[in-house]
Amino acid sequence: MSHELRNDPSLLERQQARMKWQQQKQQSFFNASDHTMQNMFSTSMPLAQTNETFTGLLSGHNGLDIVKPDPGLMEDWAGFGDHLSYGYMNQNSIMPLGADQSFVHGNSVSVSTSVTVSVSPKKRKADKGQSLEVVTEKEKKLKGCAEEGDSKITHQNSNNSDKATGDNKSSNSKGASTNTSSKDKSKVSEVQKPDYIHVRARRGQATDSHSLAERVRREKISERMKYLQDLVPGCNKITGKAGMLDEIINYVQSLQKQVEFLSMKLATVNPELDFNIDNVFAKEMFQPSTSEFQGLGCTSETPNPAYFQLNSLDQVYCGLDMGINSAEMALRRSLTAPMSIPETFMDSSCFNQILPSAMWDGDLQNLCKMEFEQGTLIPIQSHQYTGKVIN
Amino acid sequence: MHTSSKLKKEFFKKWMQGLQICCSSKKQMNIMERKKKIKLSSDIAMASAKMTPTSWSNALISNAKKCEQDTVLVDKLIGPQSQLKLQKTSNKMISFHNRVQCKKVLKRSCNYAAKKTKRMGDSRKNLATIIAKRLVKKRTKVLKRLVPGGESLDEFSLIKEALDYILSLKVQVDVMRSVVNATEVVLNGDNLMKSV
Repeated sequence: MSHELRNDPSLLERQQARMKWQQQKQQSFFNASDHTMQNMFSTSMPLAQTNETFTGLLSGHNGLDIVKPDPGLMEDWAGFGDHLSYGYMNQNSIMPLGADQSFVHGNSVSVSTSVTVSVSPKKRKADKGQSLEVVTEKEKKLKGCAEEGDSKITHQNSNNSDKATGDNKSSNSKGASTNTSSKDKSKVSEVQKPDYIHVRARRGQATDSHSLAERVRREKISERMKYLQDLVPGCNKITGKAGMLDEIINYVQSLQKQVEFLSMKLATVNPELDFNIDNVFAKEMFQPSTSEFQGLGCTSETPNPAYFQLNSLDQVYCGLDMGINSAEMALRRSLTAPMSIPETFMDSSCFNQILPSAMWDGDLQNLCKMEFEQGTLIPIQSHQYTGKVIN
Repeated sequence: MHTSSKLKKEFFKKWMQGLQICCSSKKQMNIMERKKKIKLSSDIAMASAKMTPTSWSNALISNAKKCEQDTVLVDKLIGPQSQLKLQKTSNKMISFHNRVQCKKVLKRSCNYAAKKTKRMGDSRKNLATIIAKRLVKKRTKVLKRLVPGGESLDEFSLIKEALDYILSLKVQVDVMRSVVNATEVVLNGDNLMKSV
């Protein structure tokens, strides 16, 4: 059987023929498979042979995978596999690597065969951490699309006992051919072996390990892409991977440039990297909006150097969440108030070892000039910035 | 903005800490140095403010450590516990990176011949997919360069890291912007006061 397939280039034609055939002979297939399974048990095919044929089938599938991208088509997996899945089931039952259930759904005919493959340990390790995630994702997807037939990859160690359980499952499956039952069983199997990746192949698609693993990978990536779409503005319209990546790259670059620019700006605005005034002021400015004015008055009086401790920064930060507008308003209010307040700010900042007076020392005449210039520029710029911050 | 305020607080705290450390060391710096210090301290603060250390944050910190001048700052900012973690992870990263590179070299040499033959018999559809794949590859390469520590990551984790990195960059930009505005406002106020 499988030897024919390996050499057969016109799988597509066969497939179509099988579809028609299958729709007629679905029931007989149901019944027949039962027998065939048992038959295959009795005829013990040598292991090496099964492996070869298996891989042959797998390679044969690759062409089909390209040809049939749409899983929702009415391809009857069962029909398609009158040679293939047939062969699959037989081989699955025999392969000591283990076999799982194969479901045939009622009229929607979504057959899920399960393929057990030995996967390289590295893949397993990489996916180990994420297997549970994948599992839950898969479960959600299953619930979402009820019609799609799936198959599972369970990477299992060579375990002879699995064979027996696999047989039991397969015999049970024919009776209960519904999605929910398959989900339950899949859940059970997942719970038992949490470090495997459980993948369901869609109807009409190849079930070889490589393409299935590929699909897992792709689905993970597309999931992440969706998150990225939310993060990166303006990505809603772009669907392709390359376009999305392009947007991501542009966004990361722009963010990095913004950081550079802002740090440069800070460097110019703050000549001595003296951000302590900033802290104090920010604290005053960002008091809760109701008590801004009083807050300004109160805090300026208390000579507590604790302002400069990190505890204060928490409060500062609470305020920084608020828009800068409120800060500006507070400042303007403070400016209309008695002039003493800013001076007291300056005094309180003296608590810090790095005295602000250093800022105004003679050697920094240039810097003072710069600040004046900045001062003139600032009123214009700050308006622009408020626009940005409100964002 | 759905970025967490907690993260912002943490970042701001650490950043201010770093800046204070910077100021205490030197009194006078030219503008470029200042800018570098600011940026560095903000980067390190960002990397260390994360709750769960990720690949890019570790890479950032280890890159910063390589430069001798900044190690003191970095060490102070990070704190003792995470330093140990960093060492372990950085060793792992290095070995993994080497392994990945060797694999890549092998793959490239093996696939080169295969690709050539494949191209010969391609239909239009496959050609399109090949072109698309090439585009994607190019872009993932660029992204790898952008995200710190992204060289040794596979595609999926690269996207994950990029997600995380974007979030933190946003936080960084937000905080920096508001600090800039605050200082501007302060200076504005000061200048106004002086003029009056």
